Amino acid sequence: MIRKFTAIAFLVLGTTILPGQESLSQIFNKTYPKLVKLYGAGGIRGLAGYGTGVVISPDGLVLTVNNHLIEGGDLVAHLYDGTRVPVKVIAREPELDAALLKLGSAKQTFDDLPFFDVEVAVKAKLAAPGDPVLAFSNAFQIATRDEPVTIMQGNIASYGRLFGKIGIFDIPYSGNVYVVDAITNNPGSAGGALTDRNGNLLGLVGREVRNELTNTWVNYAIPIQAQIDVRGPTGITRTSIMDLVRKKEAYRPAPKADKPAQVEAYTGMILVSNLIDRTPPFVEEVVPGSPAALVGIRADDLIVYVDGIPVPSIISYRELMARYKPGDKVRMDVRRRDQLVGMEIVPIKPPEVPKQGPGQAIHQIIPGVRP
Amino acid sequence: MSVSILWAFILSSVTTLQSPIALPTDVLKQEQERVALVKKISPPTVAVVSGGGSGVLISEEGYALTNFHVVGTGSPALKCGLPDGKLYDGVIVGLDKMGDLALIKLIGPKPEFKFPFATMGDSDEVQTGDWAVAAGNPFLLASDFTPTVTFGLVSGTHRYQYPERGMFEYTDCIQMDASINPGNSGGPLFNMKGQLIGINGRGSFDKRGRVNSGVGYAISINQCKKFMGSLKAGLRVEHAGLGALVGTVDDSAISRVLVNQVIPSDAMRRGIQPEDQIISFAGRPIATVNQFKNILGTIPAGWKVPIGIRRITETGETKRIDLLVRLTSGERPEPPVKPEQSQDRPGQPKPAPKPLPDIVKAIYESKNGYANFHFNKVSRDSALLRLQNQLKLLDQKGDWIIKGTGTLQEKNNSSNWQLSISTAREAVEGKPAKPDLVAVSLDGIDFSLEPLKADLEPKALRDPPGSGGLLVALFQMRQLLALGTAGFPGEGISHGGMEPYWAPGNSAEPITQRKSIMAEVLKSSLGGIQGRWYLDPESGYLLAVEFTIDPNEDTCEIHFANPVTDSAGRRLPRDWVVIHGDKTFARLKVSDWKLSP
Repeated sequence: MIRKFTAIAFLVLGTTILPGQESLSQIFNKTYPKLVKLYGAGGIRGLAGYGTGVVISPDGLVLTVNNHLIEGGDLVAHLYDGTRVPVKVIAREPELDAALLKLGSAKQTFDDLPFFDVEVAVKAKLAAPGDPVLAFSNAFQIATRDEPVTIMQGNIASYGRLFGKIGIFDIPYSGNVYVVDAITNNPGSAGGALTDRNGNLLGLVGREVRNELTNTWVNYAIPIQAQIDVRGPTGITRTSIMDLVRKKEAYRPAPKADKPAQVEAYTGMILVSNLIDRTPPFVEEVVPGSPAALVGIRADDLIVYVDGIPVPSIISYRELMARYKPGDKVRMDVRRRDQLVGMEIVPIKPPEVPKQGPGQAIHQIIPGVRP
Repeated sequence: MSVSILWAFILSSVTTLQSPIALPTDVLKQEQERVALVKKISPPTVAVVSGGGSGVLISEEGYALTNFHVVGTGSPALKCGLPDGKLYDGVIVGLDKMGDLALIKLIGPKPEFKFPFATMGDSDEVQTGDWAVAAGNPFLLASDFTPTVTFGLVSGTHRYQYPERGMFEYTDCIQMDASINPGNSGGPLFNMKGQLIGINGRGSFDKRGRVNSGVGYAISINQCKKFMGSLKAGLRVEHAGLGALVGTVDDSAISRVLVNQVIPSDAMRRGIQPEDQIISFAGRPIATVNQFKNILGTIPAGWKVPIGIRRITETGETKRIDLLVRLTSGERPEPPVKPEQSQDRPGQPKPAPKPLPDIVKAIYESKNGYANFHFNKVSRDSALLRLQNQLKLLDQKGDWIIKGTGTLQEKNNSSNWQLSISTAREAVEGKPAKPDLVAVSLDGIDFSLEPLKADLEPKALRDPPGSGGLLVALFQMRQLLALGTAGFPGEGISHGGMEPYWAPGNSAEPITQRKSIMAEVLKSSLGGIQGRWYLDPESGYLLAVEFTIDPNEDTCEIHFANPVTDSAGRRLPRDWVVIHGDKTFARLKVSDWKLSP
């Protein structure tokens, strides 16, 4: 029965043009200019160096997925008319797996880009299973410059929590998603637009993920209304995509009032890019003259233990290191080729860094770890 | 729990039976239209059993299109199933390796048998967001050859997909989200009117394996149409190249395509230079190399296309230049197979190819450069017959004298001229022996050539100066028109497919305003001189001839117009225009043909 009803809904809304309704090619022509093709980090091990973004303001604010693509420095967008523009990362929200970007530069500004009105979209009703949907994205990097992005059609299959994984890692987003019956999530699709039959924004096309239980590929989109409760030091805070858009910054746990903000313990190690959530803490560079250099830590060392505690990832390394202050003694064990080498480091106060202007990625506040 | 679900299911089924859902009439109408559509598109859909793919019939004689990668590397004899449940023999007719296209012909049970066939649409009218229907034989599902029909949206048009291992470049193709799987290759993509708009052949695959990923590509039917003439002529067709290397310059917000290097070619001779910006190609605007490759890939080698160029002159001015350029072949010759790469094991006898069934043997002939030389001969003989029926000059083997008036090199003063072609004669009764001789008298200056003399001087071959070889051209023309294929021993005459023919314009008329017509082409080779003969495809009337003495030089073209029917019923052209490179050598008006058998 469900299948039958779905089929009927599809017939009515999917292919028939009702009186006053625009054809899908008309919808396409008016929607694709609101998407940008993104080019950034990646291009290795199944991680595409290209993606998609959704323009949400006439001056060039863009929403996309918070994936590896925006990790690197040189993010570039191709607009619908073929214009190539630099892109700045304004804020990243790992909890919602979303990121806010800004098109252009001081020299190149915009005021009349075609855009999706998120303020309207966020107030709209959630789409329901059976609703016909369209997906717009630069899947497989088929389009460059002024070539229009890809459009696909399908139906909402379900709305609910996603238990998915990327490779062996869990996807970072734990909120509700739209699951779609079309193969919308291909390389480069992440950050594209899921819309209703009339091109109204419903959500952001997600990453390429597999279902945790069945190991089959899942096609999902993060609803534009997505919100999530984050447990922080001061309790639970609700954050949403609209918070990211309005505040132009990610949710940050408020520092506890009784504890002054801690001074970072600086070692002078620069780790490899934190591409995925469990990137191992490999040393990429050591700042000459820094505490790490003094005790002989070298590039390509893998940090295995910090004071005897195993550090499987850059994230866990950062968490651990946050407990130390300048002057503390830290024992580090690193793997160098086939050997485990131990040493004691005394971190110092971080050297003065030039003031960061607005729009710098927030992760850059952790010194010694390159984004 | 499960019991209650079952009950619910049964109850709801019963409810459905008792009171069927009242569907809106719109929905019912749509459903009926779709049933009718599937009924219309199924009969011409072919299951190419040998090769494990699909195809589509495009004529009642049994011509069908499929992918090169389905049939191109196997035996020329094919087995093809149709939705009538029957298995038919088939043969390869023409192959396009770079474009991943193949033309095959199914053989009916009797000669007058009529196959169902699909009508072709105009793929340039296809828009992103249109619905489309794919038919074919995915996973070789249908043992009775009933096609699988999948439905989806056109996801993109004018797409470019890079070649795989130097072949199968998909240019200007249609992207769709209708499910395309292994076995769909070569099958048809239809619009909702049931018109053929593409040949499905490729998909984007990545982590999910080689099954549908929602991104399939079809070769546009308009590209197929451009290659159809060559495919029907049994050729292994080649795709065009410009004769220049181009690159996208990305230094500004909007990219430009600039010529980096020009290699000896017609493009060079027409004056394309490094640093020229290509702004239009074959009538389409160009801003990226992708766009350029997209259009270039849809054009067969050897076609003449208009090219628009923006050039910054030495004085700093920006100038637009429009040129008509004959494209070269864009395909690199395949590297010879090294012994260690060869699949034949040394010491072991090569397995003998399976003998062809008799029904196929009758319509297949293997020849280097051809997919099936039999079809080339059939096309050639048909074209020659139509040509001879128009001109009726066959067996006029004696001397020809053609007289008239004309102007030379765009000068205004008209003068008398005479062309004569005389045949060799042995010495008889006091008259001395005479070799074959072509003589031209233009504006009081005489030129002559013994075309069959050994070791002709390069200059003599190109006489009169500035014509590019009018004397040679006249001799070769008469060889074909008076002697037929017998006049071309050796490589002889072959059919060259179809290509656009550009009648000579006047200098005041910009190239962008000129129009071409599709012409049938015959190719000739005699004494190292290559000829192209342009025929009106309907009547067989001779539009023009073009002779190449050296492939690195401009040709001698003679264009014909305004035929006059003489007393013997011959339609002989009155107006001749001789062109060499960018220059008109002569405009001639014939007043008298003197022929002798």
